[in-house]
Amino acid sequence: MNIRDLGIVDYEKSLCFLEEMLTKRIRDEVSDTLILVQHRPVITFGRMADMNNIIDKTYFEQRQIPFSFTSRGGKITYHAPGQLVMYPIIDLKKKGRSVAFYIDFLEKVIVKSLNYIDVPATREDGRRGVYVTGKKIAFIGISLKKWVTYHGAAVNINNDTTAFSYINPCGEEGSRVISAAEYSGRKHDMRSVKKIFTEQFIEIFKNEYMCWREPVLHKTSEEDI
Amino acid sequence: MELRLPDITENDELVTITLWFVKENERVSKDQDLVEVMTDKATFSVASPWDGLITKINRVAGEEVERDEVLAEIRENKDQRFTTDL
Repeated sequence: MNIRDLGIVDYEKSLCFLEEMLTKRIRDEVSDTLILVQHRPVITFGRMADMNNIIDKTYFEQRQIPFSFTSRGGKITYHAPGQLVMYPIIDLKKKGRSVAFYIDFLEKVIVKSLNYIDVPATREDGRRGVYVTGKKIAFIGISLKKWVTYHGAAVNINNDTTAFSYINPCGEEGSRVISAAEYSGRKHDMRSVKKIFTEQFIEIFKNEYMCWREPVLHKTSEEDI
Repeated sequence: MELRLPDITENDELVTITLWFVKENERVSKDQDLVEVMTDKATFSVASPWDGLITKINRVAGEEVERDEVLAEIRENKDQRFTTDL
């Protein structure tokens, strides 16, 4: 697993890098890669989003926060520095698992990593994303091309979450949002956080994907008895 | 040949056609992205398994589709001859 930390980058610029890595992975020119990045403030729309999910457009216009329309799944979200974004570029073709399984995998990585920094994150039945005390802390929106994943997940670590109150995050009206810093009452060291997320990603990836084998049906014959 | 929706979900999750990249009577190449579908949190590009001609598109953008449903029909171009006949 390659790890690439891009630092704080404009959304559009990181999208170009993402698409370049996707193309290379499809051509098998690079191995599976986890890209870590923090974006400068931006609102992104997934394929299912519409402008009605913006509650107050002037809030973003006054702050010159751009809107970006993307090919990822999901609806609307907000990115800003202090939020950890993970873009795994993984070829799922030979790993024999579904898209839903992959989203479960991402949520498990986020839950375990946040638990590691004493943030009691959980998954909720019937709702995608990750939650802390009923408030959303992580957002999922992925795409697959030729069974290679791109886009990914965003986790509020130290970012100010005020902007989320001017949108319906993930299209959910009245959805409340939290960051790890708001829960803990202190900022977290991003370098340590990135290390923990990377380690958990690799460990859970090995458990969920590398140990998986096609089930073999063992026939019992008279000779076996 | 039938282009079917790949097995991308594990349960009864809804899958919707987002957009077609091609039209009926259009020639396509093996591995070319033909249609994008989406679930709640994912978009997935379905590629052509063959070189050929799109003879019929069964579902339009916005429609929900089921696992293994036939999305389109493709006349496979096995020997390259039909492309010159058209």
